[in-house]
Amino acid sequence: MRRKRAEIARDHAAFEAFYRRHVDAVTRFLARRVDDPHTVADLVAEVFMAVLDSAHTYRAESGSEVAWLYGVARNTLSSERRRLFRESRLTDRMSGRRPLDSDDLARLEERIDAERPARRVLAAMAGLPEGERAVLELVVIDQLTVTEAATALGIRQGAAKMRLHRARRTLQGLPFVMEGTPG
Amino acid sequence: MSFEERILMELKDEITARAERRRRTGRRLFAGAAVAGLAAAAAIVVPLLTGVEQPAYAVTRNTDGTIDVRLNEFRDADKLEQDLGKLGVDADITYLPPGKWCGEDRGKAIGGDGSPEDWDASASGRAARLDHDGLRIDPRYVGKGRTLVMMFSEAKNASAGPKPKTEWQLGSFVVEGPARPCVVVDNPLWKDTGGSGRPPAGD
Repeated sequence: MRRKRAEIARDHAAFEAFYRRHVDAVTRFLARRVDDPHTVADLVAEVFMAVLDSAHTYRAESGSEVAWLYGVARNTLSSERRRLFRESRLTDRMSGRRPLDSDDLARLEERIDAERPARRVLAAMAGLPEGERAVLELVVIDQLTVTEAATALGIRQGAAKMRLHRARRTLQGLPFVMEGTPG
Repeated sequence: MSFEERILMELKDEITARAERRRRTGRRLFAGAAVAGLAAAAAIVVPLLTGVEQPAYAVTRNTDGTIDVRLNEFRDADKLEQDLGKLGVDADITYLPPGKWCGEDRGKAIGGDGSPEDWDASASGRAARLDHDGLRIDPRYVGKGRTLVMMFSEAKNASAGPKPKTEWQLGSFVVEGPARPCVVVDNPLWKDTGGSGRPPAGD
């Protein structure tokens, strides 16, 4: 296990395989939460950068790769949000953006459009306590199992189940019509 | 080239840059340690956990006889000493507050008089090595009747984020017999790693 963990963060080929396996899922995960193509592209890079930082926290036995990765993506997103809250987005952020060509933009906008229903449901969840919302998000929006969601959040499975139950009870009446995220 | 491919290229460059930084940092910190008369020091990064669910550390014995110590929190030094004792390593572990270090008089360090390269090849240099997420102890280089001395001191920057991490320095060496007690002094390497904000080891 140690070898595999080290490989993702240190070996080009191992990292590339990991990246190609998950880059679409991470892009969709972000497109469900952010509706600006440039920010989505920047965040994809940030998430995989965070993977390099935290590859050693991955445990094969404690859940799927994607559950762990969604946990990393959530942390990246929330620290990014805190950062934006502190800094003026216009002054600092624009200059450092990576360029997107028209193909990139079109593909990202397509993704972002496809995830519009998910963003609507997320907005409806905004009133829930953070802990409950986090579990509900991962299960309903990102289609993880409860076990995987627990892994992503670093909590026990029982706690995840409890939070999910509470969240669903609070939100009874909210139509969770999810078509299932594409491909 | 799509943005995905460009990001992949950037990340591969980052992997290369990190490997390079790790190589350089190890050398620079070692030089700093030698100048200061310390046995060895390097920076490691440990998550600062606030919960109580996770044990302070985990000890694993590898098939080649080496022992991995993964640190989550710098507490329970006595218990870690006991656990290492059960695996045949007499260890003396001190966790120090930021900016502090143990005075030099801990005992006669094996391999303590040569150049940094000699030190690196000596029992002291080989007994405990930093790994990407903790340290690896090789009991063969500690040996019977000797003590592996390890001192950890907190550097001042804890990175922000949902899982805050802090940067620490480790000094380790092997002495004949038991180690003399730690006399707390100001850490001469404090400035060396204290101000960067980003852990020099990169991971």
